[in-house]
Amino acid sequence: MRLGRVIGRVTLSRQDPAFRGARWLIVSPMSRPQLSRPDEEIVSASASAVVYDDLGAGRGDIIGFVEGAEATAPFDRPTPIDAYNAAIIENLNYQPAN
Amino acid sequence: MILARVDGNITSTVCHPTLRGWRLLILQGIDEQGREKGDPVIAIDEHGAGFGDRVFYTTDGSSTREHVGNEHSPLRNMVMGIID
Repeated sequence: MRLGRVIGRVTLSRQDPAFRGARWLIVSPMSRPQLSRPDEEIVSASASAVVYDDLGAGRGDIIGFVEGAEATAPFDRPTPIDAYNAAIIENLNYQPAN
Repeated sequence: MILARVDGNITSTVCHPTLRGWRLLILQGIDEQGREKGDPVIAIDEHGAGFGDRVFYTTDGSSTREHVGNEHSPLRNMVMGIID
């Protein structure tokens, strides 16, 4: 699981039937500079991901998202999903020891 | 197994049900000299690792899912031990 900030949403008018009812977030992965200053909402240099969401995360939220095989684990049947929102983060305590 | 340092933790109420009750740590991958490698990741921990501790964690999703007892868990990273 990686941490990322929700910076937008995607809406689709035509999509695979498996996605009916899904929400899609645009998420900017957070690396050390973003984690050190979470209040500043800095977009990182890493490529943003489009993340499936059924928890109801909003713009500005920090989420924990998973990619690859783990992204499809929550689904009962094979679903073509690359990234899945597993947690909306409430408290973030980050104190790198260096 | 990946060597990492505990740089923090997170809490979440609105999450996949299989995350409930687990300590969720922010781990920073390091090399043998303690130099940082890559971006931090989140891992579950049942050993009580604290800030600054060096740990080993696994990225084997299937064993982590087995450990939390739910094949539909999106969890992948799990702390396997704290280094003395």
